[in-house]
Amino acid sequence: MTLKECYAALGGDYEDVVLRLRSDRMIQKFVFKFLDDPSYGQLCHGIEIRDREEAFRAAHTIKGVCQNLSFTKLYRSSSALCDALRNDWGAEADDLVKQVHEDYELTAGVIRAFQEEMGE
Amino acid sequence: MKNKTTRFLIASVLLASLVCVGLFTMLASFMNSSSSKAISEVGKTYMQGMSEQISLHFETAINLRLRQVESIVEEVPMAEDSGLAHDMVQEQLRSNGKACDFNYLGLVSEQGDFEMAYGEKLKIIDPESFLTSMKEGKEKVAVGTDLHGNKVILFGVPAQYCMEDGSLALALVAGLPVEYITDTLSLDINDSKVYSFIVKQDGSFVIRTNGAFRENYFERARNMYEDTKDGTVESYIQEMGKAMEEGRDYSRQISVEGKLRHVYCTKLSYSEWYLLTFMPYGTLDATIDHFSHNWGLVSVLGCAIVLGILLIIFLIYFRMTRRQMCELYKARTEAEHATQAKSEFLSNMSHDIRTPMNAIVGMTAIAMANADDMGQVQNCLKKIALSSKHLLGLINDVLDMSKIESGKMTLSMDLVSLREVMDSIVSIVQPQTKAKRQKFDVFIYDIISENVYCDGVRLNQILLNILSNAIKFTPDEGKVEISLHEEPVENSEQKVRVHIHVKDSGIGIAPEFKDKIFDSFSREETRVRRTEGSGLGMAITKYIIDAMGGTIEMDSELGVGTEFHVILELEKADTPEEEMVLPPWNMLVVDDDEQLCESAVVSLKSFGVNAEWALDGETALEMVETKKNSPNSYEVILLDWKLPGMDGIQIAKKIRSQLEDDVPILLISAYDWSEIERQAREAGINGFISKPLFKSTLYCGLRAYAGEGEELVLNSVIEPKVDFKGKRILVAEDNDLNWEIAEALLEDLELTLERAENGQECVDKFKETEQGYYDGILMDIRMPIMTGYEAAKAIRAMDREDSDLPIIAMTADAFAEDVEAALHSGMNAHVSKPIDIRELQRLLEKFIK
Repeated sequence: MTLKECYAALGGDYEDVVLRLRSDRMIQKFVFKFLDDPSYGQLCHGIEIRDREEAFRAAHTIKGVCQNLSFTKLYRSSSALCDALRNDWGAEADDLVKQVHEDYELTAGVIRAFQEEMGE
Repeated sequence: MKNKTTRFLIASVLLASLVCVGLFTMLASFMNSSSSKAISEVGKTYMQGMSEQISLHFETAINLRLRQVESIVEEVPMAEDSGLAHDMVQEQLRSNGKACDFNYLGLVSEQGDFEMAYGEKLKIIDPESFLTSMKEGKEKVAVGTDLHGNKVILFGVPAQYCMEDGSLALALVAGLPVEYITDTLSLDINDSKVYSFIVKQDGSFVIRTNGAFRENYFERARNMYEDTKDGTVESYIQEMGKAMEEGRDYSRQISVEGKLRHVYCTKLSYSEWYLLTFMPYGTLDATIDHFSHNWGLVSVLGCAIVLGILLIIFLIYFRMTRRQMCELYKARTEAEHATQAKSEFLSNMSHDIRTPMNAIVGMTAIAMANADDMGQVQNCLKKIALSSKHLLGLINDVLDMSKIESGKMTLSMDLVSLREVMDSIVSIVQPQTKAKRQKFDVFIYDIISENVYCDGVRLNQILLNILSNAIKFTPDEGKVEISLHEEPVENSEQKVRVHIHVKDSGIGIAPEFKDKIFDSFSREETRVRRTEGSGLGMAITKYIIDAMGGTIEMDSELGVGTEFHVILELEKADTPEEEMVLPPWNMLVVDDDEQLCESAVVSLKSFGVNAEWALDGETALEMVETKKNSPNSYEVILLDWKLPGMDGIQIAKKIRSQLEDDVPILLISAYDWSEIERQAREAGINGFISKPLFKSTLYCGLRAYAGEGEELVLNSVIEPKVDFKGKRILVAEDNDLNWEIAEALLEDLELTLERAENGQECVDKFKETEQGYYDGILMDIRMPIMTGYEAAKAIRAMDREDSDLPIIAMTADAFAEDVEAALHSGMNAHVSKPIDIRELQRLLEKFIK
């Protein structure tokens, strides 16, 4: 699996990220680092204890990271979740949380597979 | 209400004036009375002092004379011890007396008879008390008369000289005319306002001055004085007599011939006499009168000023109240109108909202009932999605309108590529026109500046509103066109005038509705009742165009079509366009729109391409045929897809049979080519260029055939205009991954980076370092502990010279409100994630010197 294929698999925009980060090596480095990013854990925690503030901030961070890495699919769901949590606990938030979970698992899964393939 | 206020105001003015006048009158009268009291007090004190002076003076003068007489007595020896002859004694007395300047000198017997040494013979007026004093050995002064009846002051000193008849004399008496006292005491100086009398206890005058002619002062008082408020003349005489008897001083005001005088009475020593000193109040009165007069004037003036000011204040207040009431009335009327319009709108809207809502509810019910039937469910969901979209559109319009009405809509001017705007518009409306099988065309020509400063989102909104109206009101298989061209603005190099025409062959707009089309909540009720929409679209459009400083005009004919013409004056974006050069190809452009052809040829020439154009397929084929095999045969061919007669694909087929395979043939189209792609490729078409044909569209489309790789234009860091080496940037970013990405990107600019993990840390780091340590701050907004907004505010509020260092917000939110909030909290600029190094570099260059 190439990086481009990895992006295609996780619903990202390779053309876009390569424009900004310029080299595959750099993109790959950051993509792997994505697995260590604590924001998703924070989001889960915030959702669990119904702390809107924390959940919102975590979703917002995920959104920012996805923008930087052009993870379009996860960006869409986290951005929607962000909007749902921005002012109060929107009714659609719970469905969006599910969507974010799903997208995150997909993204992380693909990256892990890619990582294994790269032998790291 | 109005009358009540007026009445209240007038009443309070009157009351205030009354109180004011009363207060000043009271003040004036009080001042007057207290000043006359003070004057009387002053008069009394003054008179007392004066009387004391006079009586002291009198005493001194009398004493002096008595001492002279005494010294005569001492010098001239008395009979018993000297044995001097009577004549001799008389002689000595005479010479001594004359030396002392006495007018009279003589001895007085125990019976009071005089034996004069010289001068006329004298007679004591009231001898008893005088003789008694002499017998007791006391010196005394008395009044007597000479033979002519002239009054003489007598100075008696006890002395036992021998008299002519041999008996012993009782005393030596010297005499001086009364004038002596008058002169010595200056009792009768004419220009003196003050005058004095000397009287005896019974009131008889010893010394008269000031033209008094009566013999008795009390008689004079009875005749001349008038009763005063202090008491009657009679009581005055009695009081004075009593005071004389008791030897007290006496002071009082009297009235003579209507003028007030002050009298002061004191006893004189060596005598039974009393000194009466008078001071007319005329002088004092004049001063006091003047004073009171001034007082009155000042009071009246003060009163007038206070009243005047009061009146002015009341008038102003009155007018203010009146104006407020008018405004209140106006505001109420306006509010009533607005309420009416809103309730009308609400009743309209409730219908509009209920329709799609009902559809959603109904379709959901159907889907639930047929949960097993996949086809049915999908059909329902499709319809639900449609209705939701419609509903969302409605709600967006309403929200937009409420934003506009509350004045909260802001334009965020940004660099906008008209090419991108048109591209996105075309891609949005294409599916709609396709669904209605409408002919949709885009025309772009005379583009001076492709990039302009404008609110891209709002510009999109304008175009979409107008276009979707055009599509909505144009029947199936009708025609919708949008064209865009630019022209230079007179007297402004920086601006460009953008004309946008949207033309349709729709149902048109009734003339009577033309004036109302830009009003809120209006819709032509009769014919378009069934057409969806809030009736807000055009009002919003008009408002945005107004806010951008542009104009919108409309021309319409019922049943023929409508044309909207938007004119905007936008600032050119002077970003240097990439160097756009292509090989010196010979090119052919085929399109049925002459304007497009000309415009494209001009653009191509600027790339260094030789281009020719043809308006239809037949001409084009002829031109290709003619040039075939010549050195300048066509090397690239651009074909429009929809052409009258032969379409682009057919032409391409024919050309391919004439030319070699390596001549690229490209199709220009405003339509989604995915449907025709296979067909086109089979016909030998190499690629597609989408309308609208901007210069950059052409360049990007053709560049691929120039034999150079795409890597050439990959975004790479442009050579920085500013040397960032050694510049230190503080990056506030809570997320590690984002920080690392930022670090990796910014390091290429040779910037030195430091990180703060939240707003508080950012503020602390800045606070702890010395002046000018950081050259700028990149600030994430959503951070734990302290947000970027708060941190920026805290830094801006610090009292140090570099607290105005550049702060650039860096956030995942890109709404106009977020940008506004960032600027509002004191940051210089706002970039949205993902981090675009070129944008960031541009900003850093702008702010970091």
